[in-house]
Amino acid sequence: MGLKDVFLQHPERRYIMFGGGGGVGKTTFSAAAAYWLASQGKKVLVFSVDPQASLTDIFKRDIFGKGPVQIMDNLWAQEIDADSHIRTYQQEIRQKILDMYGLPAVPEEIENYIQAASAEPAMEESAIFDAVVDVVMKGDYDYYIYDLVPLGHALYYLSMAKVYDEWINKITKLREEMREYEDMVSRLRREKENEQDQILNELHYIKNRINTSAGILTDKTKTAFFFVVIPEAMVINDTQKAAQLFAQFNVPIAGYLVNRVIPRELLDQNIPEYLRRRIAMQDQHMGDLRTAFGDKVLALVPEMERDVTGLATIKKLAAIMFA
Amino acid sequence: MVEQKKPQGEKSWLEAIRETIYGMAAHDMSRAALRTRASMEHLFILITMGDLLGIPILPPYYSLRLLPYVVPQIATWKRRMLREKDVADAMF
Repeated sequence: MGLKDVFLQHPERRYIMFGGGGGVGKTTFSAAAAYWLASQGKKVLVFSVDPQASLTDIFKRDIFGKGPVQIMDNLWAQEIDADSHIRTYQQEIRQKILDMYGLPAVPEEIENYIQAASAEPAMEESAIFDAVVDVVMKGDYDYYIYDLVPLGHALYYLSMAKVYDEWINKITKLREEMREYEDMVSRLRREKENEQDQILNELHYIKNRINTSAGILTDKTKTAFFFVVIPEAMVINDTQKAAQLFAQFNVPIAGYLVNRVIPRELLDQNIPEYLRRRIAMQDQHMGDLRTAFGDKVLALVPEMERDVTGLATIKKLAAIMFA
Repeated sequence: MVEQKKPQGEKSWLEAIRETIYGMAAHDMSRAALRTRASMEHLFILITMGDLLGIPILPPYYSLRLLPYVVPQIATWKRRMLREKDVADAMF
């Protein structure tokens, strides 16, 4: 079964993700899949959740932080600008503090906290994943193609979502208990009802956001996760480990796509020993891949003769991927 | 709240009895409840704003959302957290 059949057999899978180690071709494959789906008449948004996004390079269009940009018929691309997203968000928090307490300026201690929180390494990922919820919830497109962050970050995010969920359940419970004490005092003092607990509302909101973004990653019917691998020992090892972890987090793994396979036709030509050895090495690793992932290996994509940038080469690549 | 003017003698008399009964029966209870409530408030800020004391707990992106609501408590909370011998004291 090929990649095309998987897409044709499962039209309900609307969230398509390409994950893999750094530099294996996630962005390239995301762009090619988006191109193919768009040329089939589907309305597609391909977007990057990687702070070092490269959709701009592949489409040769400056789309960074500009919202969805139309690339061609049915195809839009988006790169989320995490920094500006965080700056806007910080400003909203500051404004809220000023409005709530009628202050002329944010107290120094609070301002320091805002600054420190934003310097946390997890901030960027959280901000992007949070922005993705908005993008996906609008539901304007038939397909959403995620150009994912390298494996480590995606795993981090998934485990984070699980921990956060439990954590937020706990503090929501604490908050509700606090609420009971408040109500008790009100009853004893025969005061009227307490006003709504704003913090409790915020906690419910946060829980909802985290669950939505993690929920998409683990949705068995609507999500298809593809690993991109290259036939090299280390990449295959990493992918096997990651696949196990992803499975533990219930990510629905739809298949494996092998990139940068040296064309075997070269063997008929007069090629240097160096290239013959590399082909032999790849053959061995391809065997490993087949043993490890069986018929879930859905496509073999050759090492291209030039960089995949611009629609013409993307089209060529898509034709190979979806043969 | 306490210093309200009472228009009628009878009403204020009833009010006085009500407050006396409240004072005898329920005041201690509500004081204890408020104390517990305040401790929980501090615990709550600790687990959401732990970064302020150098204890990162909540993902910072979301803890910022809660920050505006706890601004007034932060000064007293820090004092309390640094005074208490054991953080668990604040829990019970």
